[in-house]
Amino acid sequence: MSAGAVSVQALLVAHGTVPAVRGISFEARAGEVLTLLGPSGCGKTTTLRAVAGLEAPREGRIAIDGRTVFDAARRTNLPPERRGLAMVFQSYAIWPHMTVFENVAFGLRARGVADGDLAGAVRRSLDLVGLGALAERPATRLSGGQQQRVALARSIAGDPRVILLDEPLSNLDAQLRLAMRAEFKALQRRLGLTAIYVTHDQEEALVLSDRVLVMRDGAIEQAGTPAEIHDTPRSRFVAEFVGVRNILPCEVAEAAALLPGGLRLPVREAAPDGPAAVCFRPISVQLFPHAAPGAHPATVVAATYLGDFMQYELRCGELAICARGLPRPDFAEGAPVFWSVPADACFLVAT
Amino acid sequence: MLRAETVLGIGVSALVAVLVLPPLIAVMVTGVGAGFAPLRHTDLVLNTLLFGLLTTLGALVTGGALALALGAGVPGRTLLERLVVMPLYLTPLLTAMGWNWLGSPRSGLLNLLLHAAFGPHVTLDIVSPAGAMAVAALATAPLPFLLISDALRGLDPALLEAARVHGAMPARVFRRVTLPLLLPAGLAAAMLVFVQAIGLFSVPAVLGMPAGFYVATTEIYRLLESYPPRIADATAWGMLLLAIAALLTFTQSALLGRRSFVTITGKAFRPNLRSPAAPGLRAALAWLYVALATVLPLLALLWAASSAFVTADFRLMRFTAAHFAFVLFGYPKTWLAVGNSVLLGVLTASLVCLLGLAVSWVVLRARQAGRGVLDQLSMLPLSMPAMVFALGLLWVYVRVRLPIYGTIGILLLAYCTHYLPFGVRTSSAALRQLHPELEEAARVAGASWLRTMRRITFPLVQPAVLAAWVLLFVMAMQEVSSSILLYTSRSIVLSVAVFDLWENGNPSDVAALGFLQLAASFIVVSLVLGLRQRRGVT
Repeated sequence: MSAGAVSVQALLVAHGTVPAVRGISFEARAGEVLTLLGPSGCGKTTTLRAVAGLEAPREGRIAIDGRTVFDAARRTNLPPERRGLAMVFQSYAIWPHMTVFENVAFGLRARGVADGDLAGAVRRSLDLVGLGALAERPATRLSGGQQQRVALARSIAGDPRVILLDEPLSNLDAQLRLAMRAEFKALQRRLGLTAIYVTHDQEEALVLSDRVLVMRDGAIEQAGTPAEIHDTPRSRFVAEFVGVRNILPCEVAEAAALLPGGLRLPVREAAPDGPAAVCFRPISVQLFPHAAPGAHPATVVAATYLGDFMQYELRCGELAICARGLPRPDFAEGAPVFWSVPADACFLVAT
Repeated sequence: MLRAETVLGIGVSALVAVLVLPPLIAVMVTGVGAGFAPLRHTDLVLNTLLFGLLTTLGALVTGGALALALGAGVPGRTLLERLVVMPLYLTPLLTAMGWNWLGSPRSGLLNLLLHAAFGPHVTLDIVSPAGAMAVAALATAPLPFLLISDALRGLDPALLEAARVHGAMPARVFRRVTLPLLLPAGLAAAMLVFVQAIGLFSVPAVLGMPAGFYVATTEIYRLLESYPPRIADATAWGMLLLAIAALLTFTQSALLGRRSFVTITGKAFRPNLRSPAAPGLRAALAWLYVALATVLPLLALLWAASSAFVTADFRLMRFTAAHFAFVLFGYPKTWLAVGNSVLLGVLTASLVCLLGLAVSWVVLRARQAGRGVLDQLSMLPLSMPAMVFALGLLWVYVRVRLPIYGTIGILLLAYCTHYLPFGVRTSSAALRQLHPELEEAARVAGASWLRTMRRITFPLVQPAVLAAWVLLFVMAMQEVSSSILLYTSRSIVLSVAVFDLWENGNPSDVAALGFLQLAASFIVVSLVLGLRQRRGVT
């Protein structure tokens, strides 16, 4: 197994009698960013905390860097301090009774780094996150973004191979979130860190990750690259979670979806077994003011201004369709329109 | 692999069980088997209930009015908030003695003034059932004041504003919104005060016994002081107190279990209570309380301690330092008692803080089975009056024959158990303020459990724990109810020495010794706080 890899097998964590994680397995390869994505309560944070040693799983096996840190069968359970990890917490967990320097130096001291070597390592980490000038500042006098940077500096100070991040950006405002996202990505590449990243923000997951695990009710719903997750959700749950607005229950015939009202939409892939729904994103919907080949008639129910584009809610027989496009005066509310969606933008999911 | 957390959890649970359970079981076993003396003295049972009920009512009304008055904003609010809780630092014993010198029918200072102004028929008789209840209410009012003030601070002002916006007049807002929201805190306070009142020994002893008014605690004392001591009967009275307290605790949790109000928003409380009284009137009310509960009794104490002899006649009064000299140099028990009290105070405060922190850490942080039981167990002493607990201890340690009987060890045991709930509550409050991730971050960063405690948890809870330490020290210094049953001539403590002198000595010497007790508390507390300031820890 390569250095920096994390392997989780058949992990089962329960709080009391309620299972929070139901026997999941996955692997984070060395140097990649693996994201656990899902709504709150899906078990993503519990999984991360189990890797860190902050939760006691019932079953399974966890190995970091080829070393087994938890094995229910062999009753192995290393305490967090002996797993050699770094972690960024959602609350940042900056110790308020210490300076920035002391916060970053804490882990080095705990692992027995001599005072002489300490200062250099602390400086280097602080410089990496752009906080070199604030070393002596009390931790209570930091802004949210600065606290986030200290948390990052603290976690990389000990030269870890693996870093765990628990919704690290969720407490920042939108602009800062974008900036920190880019900074973290650059830092991760530069240091070659293996990262396991927990978030409920699908955009964050897609931008940051090499691979994404979408979790639901303590199980992995779908695993894949960001493009796979975004373009080919395999279930209604994943489709909804990655922002597919049009999910229409349908019959399947050959390479097309049959919708109520006699509508027939060609799809790009063969159908899964059982009941299905046809899915496409609002941005894939093409709108025409007049009849066009393959386009279906509809009425604009609502036109909502969203800044860069308009969102149109259409009624097409019994169907409600959501579309996005540039603002056009002839698509006002109540106006008749025609819509179509290309076959390669349509896919089927099991329902 | 056995981790440090697990060891701590098991150790703490075992320790708390050993502290709390044996005396409790002893009281229940012997109390039930003793033919149940209280059944033959229903008048004393009624006295006890009446004393508890009226004291609670008085304390609740006083404390609640003070909380509302100060909460609505008054001039000098910060100062008043501190002065109002002073009775916590005085002792009920000293307050009762102070009021005795103020209001005893023939020689009380206030009665001298009344007689001079209105003639000899206008007399305030504080040495009476009513007087005892009034003074007990004054002495216990800070408790409901603190609880209700907390609840007021936690009230979301938007709830009151919403009522106003939707058309309710201020009086209606107060009646329909503010009061119901304060109800849980009020009930909790009433329960606590009632348990404390029926377990209160010093006030009924000083102001009730001379008037022939006996309650359960003074009856226990009388039974144990008689020759031969009637331990079984005394324990039966203890069992009665325990049963009442347990019933109340149960009722309270049953009542509050169904309606708990979460109104905490973290926003600073804005004083928009619209109290019916003007700020000046509200301040006057608070000052009146401070005068009655603290200033007047203290002045009376000072007057008694420095009078050559306690006289009813202003023209005969002479002042002297002889009484102070006597208690400092002439009274043989003074320095032994000072040493014992300070040692007990320091040990009790330190051990209770440590144990309280350990219990609350296990309950809040460790993922250990049975931590709910530990939580309940550590709160049990709350519904066990100190005197009842002392009875149980006596019973256990007379039989077990541990060498602590007759030493301050048994007092330490009693104090630590009695104050454990206080230690656990304050530590829990402090720990709840700490995000668990602060500790987890240290663990992940490579620090062991012990190092995490030492470097992260202790420094962060230190201010709250230190405040608790100071209050615990003061409370231990003034403890009378259990000390009076457990002390021997070698293990006498200051509060007992004061009571001893009260029963058998010169009133002026008592007052001087009472002052010494206050001074000892004050000096140790100042030393501790000074030390903390010098170390620059805030």
